Order: sequence, then structure tokens, then C-alpha cells
Amino acid sequence: MAYEEPITDYDKIVENCTCAFCGSNCDDLDILVKENSVVGVRHACRLGASKIMEDEDQRLKVPMMRDENGELVEVEWDTALDAAAELIANSIRPLFYGWSETNIETMKPGLELTELVGAVIDNQATICHGPTVQAVQNVGYPLMTLGEVKNRADMVVYTGSNPMNAHPRHLSRYTTYPKGWFRKRGRYDRTLVTWDPKYSDTAKLSDIWIPFEENGDYEFVNAIRAVLKGKKLTKDVIAGIPIEDIYELTEKMKNTQFGALFFGLGLTHTLSKQRNIDIAIQLIQDLNKYSKWVLLPMRGHFNVNGFNIFMSYEMGFPYGVDFCRGYPRYMIGETTTIDLLNRKEADVFLVIAADPGAHFPSGANMHLVDIPVIQIDIHWGPTTELADIVLPGTFVGVETEGTSYRMDSVPLHMKKAIDPPETCREDEWIVTELLNRVKKIKEASK
Amino acid sequence: MTYIEKPSISNVIKFDEHNVAQVDKLTVMLNTGTDIYQGACKKRGSTLKDEYRKVAGVAYMDPKDMAKLGVGNWDSVLVKSDWGAVVVYAAHSRDAPHEGMIFIPKGPWANVIVSNETYCCSDPTYKGIEATVEKSDKEVLLMADLMREVYKKYTKKAEGVN
Repeated sequence: MAYEEPITDYDKIVENCTCAFCGSNCDDLDILVKENSVVGVRHACRLGASKIMEDEDQRLKVPMMRDENGELVEVEWDTALDAAAELIANSIRPLFYGWSETNIETMKPGLELTELVGAVIDNQATICHGPTVQAVQNVGYPLMTLGEVKNRADMVVYTGSNPMNAHPRHLSRYTTYPKGWFRKRGRYDRTLVTWDPKYSDTAKLSDIWIPFEENGDYEFVNAIRAVLKGKKLTKDVIAGIPIEDIYELTEKMKNTQFGALFFGLGLTHTLSKQRNIDIAIQLIQDLNKYSKWVLLPMRGHFNVNGFNIFMSYEMGFPYGVDFCRGYPRYMIGETTTIDLLNRKEADVFLVIAADPGAHFPSGANMHLVDIPVIQIDIHWGPTTELADIVLPGTFVGVETEGTSYRMDSVPLHMKKAIDPPETCREDEWIVTELLNRVKKIKEASK
Repeated sequence: MTYIEKPSISNVIKFDEHNVAQVDKLTVMLNTGTDIYQGACKKRGSTLKDEYRKVAGVAYMDPKDMAKLGVGNWDSVLVKSDWGAVVVYAAHSRDAPHEGMIFIPKGPWANVIVSNETYCCSDPTYKGIEATVEKSDKEVLLMADLMREVYKKYTKKAEGVN
């Protein structure tokens, strides 16, 4: 990589901003501001920096609606909001999806709107760590905060995740490299283990790499549990790993002082889905007979955990909550976004701070062709190609303040560094405005 | 436990490798997921541009598999699964060797060929999908063109006017 001169041409530094990218929510970012635009960012990783130094060309700046030719054209805020409110108020099975890349403050009016119209509210957990939440409900949640890992952990295991690609500062800020209270020498005092079929960028840094075969996670973890319980393995090779190595690894895991297991979508996206997580959590429970072990899912968006916590507090269910009967219901496989789209059930789709166009299988997205789509976002993305009404929001963490929850459920304040573009509105304002307009329509029709 | 010692793989793809039999169609396991280049490009918002096609419309393959098909870096390949077919670039995987496995970063291209079946678990199956790879002479579509071709939400109306 070519050497770049440090940026010296700036008006002010906004210190200790919280990053608005992944679930690590690094809160030590310094944003360099000149004439109300971001000219640089310090301490962020490649991902965080790329998001904060956003692509201005594709920024959504004005509300838009489709004209008769199917082209998106600029409209007034009032026109767009009224049209969106009209669609929501007159729908039978509205689906409000997203929420993970906005602040908690926006979710409040969002939930009120959901209750008012009897909609389904769901977030990105439905396509990433949904099975994790189900497993947590099945067998428990032996979690910790990342500070504990930093100060205590002497063995860190990553499985089904590749933090060097998805959470680049996770190792350097929280788990492996930092010097902690009981781990004075940082990296030298810790063993980094990766279980992954792929020789991923994290595996390349690891002390031990266990390449179990594809879809072999359940079998492999079960084998470790069997060894922990004193059983003898009868096969020579399990999930592609020779049993001597499984015995050796189990012994090492038993003899650590504090171990932490981090798992990602490699476990939830394969066929065994939540059963993979069940078994991983049970492994941690078994290991606690010998030593202290904890586990944590590697959450993707900076506030995807926040939505689950918010909904659990408010409604008792973490995601995929259905209000069509007037009270909250939660039924995995029935009230979750992909299933609703697969069954072609939803009739209005509101997407806020999410990009189903980029992240849903096209089999599910096909239903968005037949129904109106309302998008609240900051960039022109794949979903904009399917959207009928586009409402430009503001950038939480750079242009708007807010609260977000880190992957270990620690709430963090997100600072504001610059003012948003004049024609954009905060997500909270947009959702509150939609709520008020829908209320008016409902009252008028009584 | 010495799994960390990996055989090194040369960056040069040898088309005339003797122990590689040429095939027209390769049966592989498809995995999708995030990748740092895709993540950075997507969240910056540069999805309409050529760089998004270069980071998300690409199948990372084992060099041996590429030699079997006779494709080089940035050649087009057609990836087919039970759920659809899409043309993407082939590129040498930096995590090789993983013969018989391809990785396409998540994005509109991968979406066409992944399974939307949730098995009642809310989560579609994005990983471990059976697919075939073959050489293609078609150009990889840009994001907006791909969305138009796959979903056709507004193309019918636009065509009627033209």
C-alpha cells in the first residue's frame, strides 16, 4: 500500500466518536472535519473508515417517488410522506424491516407505528444471528463483556467467523492483541484458535487452525463434548479431523484459565442452523466444569443487537414480532421476514437502514416486485432499484447522535461530528412523521 | 497440531499442468459471506460503480479448479444452482487451497443463486449450496443492470413507453 501523507488540513477534530459499522462499535474514533464535511478519520479500520468517508456520489439527498415511466423522480417531503403513510395505513399485512443501522431513538416511534397498524417488525437478525437467538432461548447465554476478555482471556477461539474481514479491530482492540490486567504481554499470553473449513485471514494469524470439513461443525463440537464427558471416540477421523487432535485440543481447552468462544454466520447459515449454536453453547457449559469459558456471537451491524435488546425489553420478543392480532406474537418461520416474503404474504414493505436488495436471496426478493417498497436509507443501493418511495435519512454516528448496543450488549452513545445535508431528515423524524400521518388517516376513516 | 503449516500455492495458474484434466463443467460447493473488500465498498455506498462488481460479482476459486476450467483471473464464469444462474468473474482465492469450493461475497450476484429456504428457522441457507461452474463469454452485469434483469420491476413499464 502506498504511503499517504497525514491529513493536516482540517478545522477541528471530533474525538472519541463511536464507529457505525460492525458490532465492535469502536468508540475511540477521531473524525477530522473541515467546512462541515469529513476529511479524514483516525483509528478506524478499513471498513469503518470507508463508511465514514462515504461516497457522496450515491448519497440520497432528496425524497423520491416513481413516476408513470417507473423512474425515480424528486418530490416534496410532504408528498412522499403522505404517499408512504397512505400505503401503510391501507395495508393489510405491512412488514417493517431493518432498524439495525439506525439508533435506538428511531425504534421507539417505529414500534408505536407497528402497533398502530398491526404490522410485523423485524431486523437483520432474521437473516444473520436469528438462529443464535433461538439457541439462546433453548439453552442459555453464557456471555461476558469484551473488557473481561481483554483483561483475562488466555484462549480465544473463533469459529464460523472471519473477524479480520468482518470485524477487523476485534482482535486488536478486544480479544487477542491488547495487554490486559492478567495478560500483561498481550498476544504472547494468549492462544488464538480458529475452527474454520477455510484458511481464512483470521486462520492465517492463529496459533491453531482446525479445518473441519464443510457442514462438519455440529459433529466436531459434539466430539469435543464427548471427550469432555470422558467418552472414548470410536472413529479415527471426525469431521475431517484426526481424533488425536481432538483429544489434544480438548485437553488444551480444559487447561486454560479463561477461554472465550466467538462464533459467526458460518454456524448459523449452514443446514443445522440453530442446532449448531445449541451445541456450541452446551460445549461452553460443559467446559465450565473445568475452567472459566464464555461465548459471544459476532454481531454484524452496529445496532443489530440494540434492536433485539430494545424489542425484548419492550415486547418480550427479540425479532420478527407480529402485531396483526393486536398483541405481540413471535413465531420463527411464520412471522419472520424471509418466510413472509417466501409465502408472498406482506403487502407493504418498509425498509429502514437495511439493504434487502443486496442481502436477501432473490427468491425472497421476488415478492418485492409485486408490492410497494418504502425505503429509508442514506445511499442509493440495490434496494433503491426496487423501491417505490425513497426517503433520505441521516448518517447515525456522523450526522446524528444516538444510542447503540455493542455485540456484548453494552450501550454506547454515538456522537455527531457534522451537520446532515439540509434536505435530509433524521430517521427518528421520518418515522415519527409517518406515525403522525398514519394516525390522522386512521382517525379520519373512523 | 500443526495445521497452520500450509502448502504454499503459486500465484501463477498453470494451464498446461499435466495432472489437471480439463473439464467443461465443475461441480462445486458454493459458500457466500462477507469479505472485507465487499464490506468496505458496500457500506461506502459505491454500489452502482464498477468497483462493486469487481468485489461482489466475483467467485473466488481454487487455482487448480480454475486450471481445470481453463479460466484466468477476471474471466467470466457462469455459476448455476437449483435457485438460479449468474455470470460472475473468476478470481484466484487468497485462502486456497480449497478444491471443489467457491466463495462469492454476499451481494446481488450471490443472491441469485443462494437458497431462500429457511427450513422454518428464519434464516435462509447462504452456505453449503451445490452449484456448477462453467466458462462463459458473457460480461458480468453492473448492479443496476443485474437488478433490472433479475427482478424486472420497472423494465416492463419503461419498455412500453420506449
